Order: sequence, then C-alpha cells, then structure tokens
Amino acid sequence: MPKARIDNQIRRLRFDHGEMTQQEPADRVGCTRQTIVLLEKSRYVPSLSLAFEIARVFDQRIDEVFRYVED
Amino acid sequence: MVWIWIAGFGSVLFAFGLARFFRAFRSGPDMRDLPPTPLERLGWIGLMVTTALGVGLTILVGVRGVTDFVEDGATRGAFYLMLFGAVGVWFSAWRRLSRPTGTTVIDERDRAIQARSFTVESVLVILSLVTWTVSLTEVFWQQGAVPLGYLQLIFWSTFIAGAFGRALGIVLGYRREPSVDA
Repeated sequence: MPKARIDNQIRRLRFDHGEMTQQEPADRVGCTRQTIVLLEKSRYVPSLSLAFEIARVFDQRIDEVFRYVED
Repeated sequence: MVWIWIAGFGSVLFAFGLARFFRAFRSGPDMRDLPPTPLERLGWIGLMVTTALGVGLTILVGVRGVTDFVEDGATRGAFYLMLFGAVGVWFSAWRRLSRPTGTTVIDERDRAIQARSFTVESVLVILSLVTWTVSLTEVFWQQGAVPLGYLQLIFWSTFIAGAFGRALGIVLGYRREPSVDA
C-alpha cells in the first residue's frame, strides 16, 4: 500500500473566516487545540466524523478541506 | 568464552534499546511548541507517581525483608500508606485536569493514544511476571517452595508495572506521529 498523507486547508480557511484562532474550531468540533495544530501541519489523520465536523465549521464540503496526497 | 560473547552482545543490544527508548521521549520538531494536553500531563504525573511507588516498595522490601512485608503490620501499613498516597495524588491530579473549563479535555486523538498505551502496559506486566517466575524458580529450586510473602510482592510489583506501563504508553504516544488509524 503506498504511503499517503491527508493534506488540508484548515489554516487558510481559518484566516478566511475572520482570522479564527485555533481554539475556536477546536471548541466547535469538540477536539483539543493540539489536534488542530497537528492537523494544520498534516501530522494527524482525523477520523471521518471529525473531518466532516471541521468542514462544517467552515461551510465547506469535506473534499474542499481535506485532500488525499500520495507520496 | 561463549558467555563473554553472549554478555557483550547482550550489553550492546541493551544499550541500543536504551538509547532508542530515551530517543522516543524527544518530541518531534512540530510538537515542541505545543502545550501538553491534560491526558499527557496525567501521563507524566502517572510516571512520577508509579516510579516513586516502585522505589518506595523496593526500599521497604530491601530494608525490612520479604517476610516482614507480610508478617509485620507496620511494614505492611507503611506500604499501604504509600499506595493510598500515590492513588490520592493521581486522583486529585485527574480531577483537577478534567475539570470542565469550556474547552475539550480529551478528544479522539487522546482516546487513540490511550487505547494504544495498553500495549506498553501488557508488555511490562508480562515482563514483570516472567522476571518473577524465572528468578523465583532459580532461587528457590532447591527448597521446592516459594515463601508466601512473594505472592504479595508479585501482585503489587505487577500492579505498579502495569500502571507505570500505561502512563509510559500515554507519554510515548504523544511523541510518535499520531493518527486514529495508525
């Protein structure tokens, strides 16, 4: 199986949404700020439900926020 | 000559394992600026508490002996005092860290790390039991029986090893690349 990572647009979307802090989406989806930090650095692969929740915070479709990248 | 080779090879293997073990404690560059999550703090507290308890039990048994550990009420009382103290410290830390603050305390990443820490716990528990079984068999082979005091010691040391392993698994879990599907 090829090694892959999940890229995302969370950092850009945060700034597009009035320079949201990392704590704000964390509180809205029910995760810790540390998880948002790791997500932004593509160091953490979220569960499908968390990915959907995050997309909903920014009023985006899940594929507009997360992208599967093959290394 | 063979034993020297085996001992040499074993020492190199041990040193290598120890170096890898301590390397695992270093945070990755992306995680260095992150404040620890409540569960990670709890993991560190658990490591300190179980280490203190393990050292305390070793000193107590070393000074008073295994027989006293079972027969002498004061020795047993001292151990139970240490045990309840340790459990008390851990529970008060847990209560303080899990107090509702308006932000999420434990999320899916923490839960995944917590679940994986069971692997470290079971390895240490098995290691403790194997160590006891092999060493007691070797020491008491001639007598054909093991003094009753060792039963207590086996139980408590394995209990401490398990709690230490769980805390260690949590701390190490935050140091490797985390993912819910890893």
